[in-house]
Amino acid sequence: MSWTRAGIFSVFLFVVFVIQEAAISKINFPIAGFSLYLAVLLGLMSLEDKFGAFVLGFIGGLILDLSPSSDSPFGKWALILTIIGYLFATNRESIGDFTERPGSFVIFISIGAALTLLVFLCFGVLLGENNGSFGTNMLTILGNSLWTLLFAPILLPGLVKWRSITINSRERA
Amino acid sequence: MAAGGNNRSRLLLVILLVTALFLITLDLRGINIAKNSRSATQSFLAPVQRGFSDFFSPVGNFFGDVKNFGKAKAQITDLQKENAKLKNQLVLNSDVKGQLAKLKGVLNLAGRGGYKVVAARVIGQGSASTFTQTITIDAGSSDGIQKDMTVINESGIVGVVKSVTGSSAIVILMSDPTFRIGVRIAGTQTVGILLGQGNSRYTLQLLDPTGTIKFGDALVSLGSDNNHPFVPGLPVGSVSFVDHSNSALTQTASVTGYANLNSLGVVSVITAVGKQDPKDSLVPTPDPTKTIYVTATPTPSASSATSNSPAPTPAPTVKAKK
Repeated sequence: MSWTRAGIFSVFLFVVFVIQEAAISKINFPIAGFSLYLAVLLGLMSLEDKFGAFVLGFIGGLILDLSPSSDSPFGKWALILTIIGYLFATNRESIGDFTERPGSFVIFISIGAALTLLVFLCFGVLLGENNGSFGTNMLTILGNSLWTLLFAPILLPGLVKWRSITINSRERA
Repeated sequence: MAAGGNNRSRLLLVILLVTALFLITLDLRGINIAKNSRSATQSFLAPVQRGFSDFFSPVGNFFGDVKNFGKAKAQITDLQKENAKLKNQLVLNSDVKGQLAKLKGVLNLAGRGGYKVVAARVIGQGSASTFTQTITIDAGSSDGIQKDMTVINESGIVGVVKSVTGSSAIVILMSDPTFRIGVRIAGTQTVGILLGQGNSRYTLQLLDPTGTIKFGDALVSLGSDNNHPFVPGLPVGSVSFVDHSNSALTQTASVTGYANLNSLGVVSVITAVGKQDPKDSLVPTPDPTKTIYVTATPTPSASSATSNSPAPTPAPTVKAKK
């Protein structure tokens, strides 16, 4: 991943973050809310190589740390999403190219979203944060991954297209 | 070459992880990177949220409406008739009307309590990925709002102002797991702490080991020093379940909040408090039982026609309770 692409992705992710904070979070989804930002970020991370996955994870995490409603220490999301990016990159190699298998992509993103939130909660516990009851948190994770599972198929073509636009010929080779 | 690439990746991974840990450490040590950057983000987001709010206000409850579609089917016929009648009376947009009703309610509550309030519209809700229960309102420091001010709606307490920018503020809701408020049981004056649970239920923990809680007990806020973050006497909720187990030192109970935090359109921030504590006067009173008596009266024609017959027995009194 070139630094130019990292810059383009940063701007793109910030726009998605604004949409998430201003619009998506206003919708009262049943069970629990849907995080478009997390779905898009995980989608982009899963399409990248190892280097790109954790760089995107770090940038995406820093943007998510800017969330005004967040009560967590600044840098927590950056740390978690860098780790998730690394996990994605190492596991992705065994799965292969997602663009040929949309089903795997959707399931991977959905599980990734659940895993990310779970790691976020576990880090919160380690840092002594109070995140509420276990049941409510599990319901939030379940609801979010369910919505991700439903919306990821709509996002996939757009993400693949966006990636192919931003990628240059040297990276393509 | 590949090994070189791998080493570069590993080095970058370590740098990124160390940077993230460094940022967390700085934040936990009280260096305000987060506060300043989040405040700047909030200042940027507030106008966008305000713009989206107008559009998303009617569609925000779309999924809830779809879920209740089956239940509502039976009412559709009645509503269609009523709708035709109401169409003639409709002057204002229904959304605005709803907000006006809520505003009326909240001003009524503030008036009874002698509070000086600033009304605000809810323009955003906490992100799904942060596990926090917050709302964003379209009033900020330029309207006189400061951190740690109490936020109410027409039913009672909603939350506390967590952070403020010039034109917006973030309110931490009562339902947030980190939310704690000192409460008093109206009537008995027993004090306790109400804890947010991340949903619409709250846990009440009494401070006095000899104190008792009853089902239906109304809770009001105890108040804080200089009325920040909580002003006294605000309705909080009512006891819905009492835990009778003897394992805890003090009695605990489940509480249902008076304020419905899922449908917040308009709220008010208490900026000043009157000299007198409203005590228990703001606790919502249940609707009084209405008793209707229907007594049958014999008509004069019927009595003349049957003048020789014995006097009619009066019909039993019908007692209808609402």
